Amino acid sequence: MDDLERQLDLECHLKDALTRKQAPDWFEAKVLAAAARETSAPAGFWQRLMAGARLRWASAVLASAAVLASGLAWQHERAVRERTEGEAAKAQLQLALKVTRVKLRKIGQKLDQMERN
Amino acid sequence: MLAAAMAVESEPGAKTNASTFTDVLRANQSMVFSIAYHFLRDRAAAEEVAQEVFLQLYRNFDGIRREQVTFWLRKVASNRCIDYVRKRKVHAAVPLDDVPEPSVSGQPDDLLLNRKLQALVASLPETPRLVMVLRYQEDLMPDEIARVLEMPVRTVKSHLQRSLAMLREKIGRSMGEIR
Repeated sequence: MDDLERQLDLECHLKDALTRKQAPDWFEAKVLAAAARETSAPAGFWQRLMAGARLRWASAVLASAAVLASGLAWQHERAVRERTEGEAAKAQLQLALKVTRVKLRKIGQKLDQMERN
Repeated sequence: MLAAAMAVESEPGAKTNASTFTDVLRANQSMVFSIAYHFLRDRAAAEEVAQEVFLQLYRNFDGIRREQVTFWLRKVASNRCIDYVRKRKVHAAVPLDDVPEPSVSGQPDDLLLNRKLQALVASLPETPRLVMVLRYQEDLMPDEIARVLEMPVRTVKSHLQRSLAMLREKIGRSMGEIR
């Protein structure tokens, strides 16, 4: 009766059905061989260069710093260019005003001369 | 074979770790292989998954605390099984409802019933299948399964209850009363 009860116990049967199975005899050797292949595979130049978390972090920080520096340099260059262009425009305007003033003065002088004549 | 093992151990500075890795591999290979086998019901696929799990362990061996290795292996094996099924779109060969009820004449045959139960468990959806494998193969409690599969304990309990009810119904139809 106990045997029958045990047979009918689903959970016991599940434990029986799902007991661990032996891995194949050659499994350990196969994994070790694969691990050995990974270990002995020569890493490429960039792989070696980029290996290690610290180096990756340092690369990321350097790249961020480079982007930030180039951004600041670009902004500074733009400000200088705008100031130079502004000054050139101001000088051109002053020159134009000066020319106009001289021409007006000459026209005024001619008109005075014509009135006197 | 031996040469391969020695090749791992002969790496400079890696002798201690490699020999420890070999010990861990030796001690846990059946556990990992069985999780994959009971989940996938395919020896070749189980071997492939188990090998990937141990290679991942090998790559991360220095970062894993020794007392956490078994937990880590169960967790990675579970994830790898699900990944394997999803990547290859592997479905259970026979849906649960289509699994024929065991034909029993007289006293039930343990071996036959075991095979039937394995087939029924393999027919469950992925998550409940893993829950069942971890519960009955590894004898883990629901809270331990919850930690391995990163899900709430009540979800694990719910999967267990529903899966057991389905299996009980399926088996019970042909075998009579099953507790």
